[in-house]
Amino acid sequence: MAALEQQPLLTDGHRRDGRAYEEFRNVFLKTGVISQASGSAYAEFNNTKVMVGVYGPRQSERKVGYSEQGRISVDVKLATFATRQRGMFGQTPEERELSALLATALEAATNLASFPKATADVYVLVLEAGGGELGVAATAAALALADAGIEMFDLVTACSVSRAEGALLLDPTVDEAAREEAGLTLALMPACSEVTQLVSRGPWTSSALREAMELAMGGCAQLDALARQVLKTAAAEAAARRQQEQQQLQQAQ
Amino acid sequence: MASPLISAGEVQWITAGVSFNCRNDGRQREDFRELSAQLGVIAQATGSARVQLGETDVIVGCKAEIGSPDPERPDCGRLVFGVECSPVASPAFRGRGGDELSGELARALERSFYPGPSGRAGGVDLSALSIVSGKTCWVLYVDALLLNIGGNLHDALSVAAKAALADAKIPKVEVVQGEDPTDEPDYEVDDDPQQAQRLDVARVPLCVTVSQIGAHSVVDLTAQEELCSSASVQVAVDASGAVCGLTKRRQKGVDPSVALEMVEVAQRAAAKLHAALADSLAEQQAQQMSVG
Repeated sequence: MAALEQQPLLTDGHRRDGRAYEEFRNVFLKTGVISQASGSAYAEFNNTKVMVGVYGPRQSERKVGYSEQGRISVDVKLATFATRQRGMFGQTPEERELSALLATALEAATNLASFPKATADVYVLVLEAGGGELGVAATAAALALADAGIEMFDLVTACSVSRAEGALLLDPTVDEAAREEAGLTLALMPACSEVTQLVSRGPWTSSALREAMELAMGGCAQLDALARQVLKTAAAEAAARRQQEQQQLQQAQ
Repeated sequence: MASPLISAGEVQWITAGVSFNCRNDGRQREDFRELSAQLGVIAQATGSARVQLGETDVIVGCKAEIGSPDPERPDCGRLVFGVECSPVASPAFRGRGGDELSGELARALERSFYPGPSGRAGGVDLSALSIVSGKTCWVLYVDALLLNIGGNLHDALSVAAKAALADAKIPKVEVVQGEDPTDEPDYEVDDDPQQAQRLDVARVPLCVTVSQIGAHSVVDLTAQEELCSSASVQVAVDASGAVCGLTKRRQKGVDPSVALEMVEVAQRAAAKLHAALADSLAEQQAQQMSVG
């Protein structure tokens, strides 16, 4: 273990897992994974696995009070076995912060005026934290909102960039992020080109920041194409299923 | 947090004022309110500061305790941030009401001190807080108390945290190893204030929140102006102008080019804020010297 920590992250233009600097991990996205929820999504970026369930929009809790706009309430939980060290039961301050950051990323994309007085609850469960949880969770949560049929201005996709050993790395793993000099996570509405969340750590010069943001936006566009494909496939499958059911019904009559 | 109410007319007035570059209190878009920082307001604390930024009023006290280092960074001390939203400032903070805001503020402070993998990249050289590598170190608890909320809490807190750390005097510790090397070493804390060391805070960043009102970037919003803003970016900037932490807040998204422009505004405003704080700190520390 100690020996691995000493080794460089980058060799011959490749990372430890064989990826190029600007290459994503293997991405898998799927909607409709929780039958009870209004909408749900599962996202897997190699070792980062996130499940999102959206419930509602439903009546806001009484204590929240009246609001002309709808609310999105986000609740992020890391499974106790998600991290290298066992997590705690109950929400930690880190998870609360993650929830707030995620809510900001989603609110801009959702047509909140379409569900006044109501709340859409977004529950995010990180099954395994392999790096870039915020980005993966934002991408999955936006898919789940779309799956729930909540009006949106655009999808949201998000990804992280780390600067380590003098290079900008797209979609860093947890080991790369642990050794980064600086990093950022950017959430984008790709079609209308609006940044809905931007979080950075560590020192950045203006030009490096610009470069990293451009890299992240390129990454978000790639994810967006995939996310749209996933939604289309899910819709086509649902339509085919309905048609089949109708045919069966007619045959029975 | 239950926000104060604002009417559509007031929103229009403030937005129009911003577009003419003349705000309610006569400031321009990139002007800060008057900043006052008092050091050493709490005798019991290792370092403390009270910062007033217009109506906003915060106190930060930091306490140094001997603790154990993070296993991932055995050669470094630790900084722990906490923010208490007292119900004095707003009845909305009664019970657990302030938890959300305090968590948000504490995490944002922490992020601007992000030490990087070596522990040396952040604003404070954490390795200076180490006592025995892997075993003991100084843990600095930086605790903030909100006394009055008049907008732009976050920037006021970052100024107060830096001032309190600048005021902190870490006692000198001597490690006394018994004759048997397997014995637990003893620590002797020197209570002579002349021997105590100050932290080097020159590289600690200050946070500037830049918000969009209408189509303009504005800094240091009052509580009322905050209600008119749809998007803001909190930028931590160090004295050299490098960006050390970024967080976007509020509902609306922003165009990438606008986001970068907001960062530039923050860098400009932060340069002035750094200069103002440095003057104030130097003056007060000189006074303390002459008294002590």
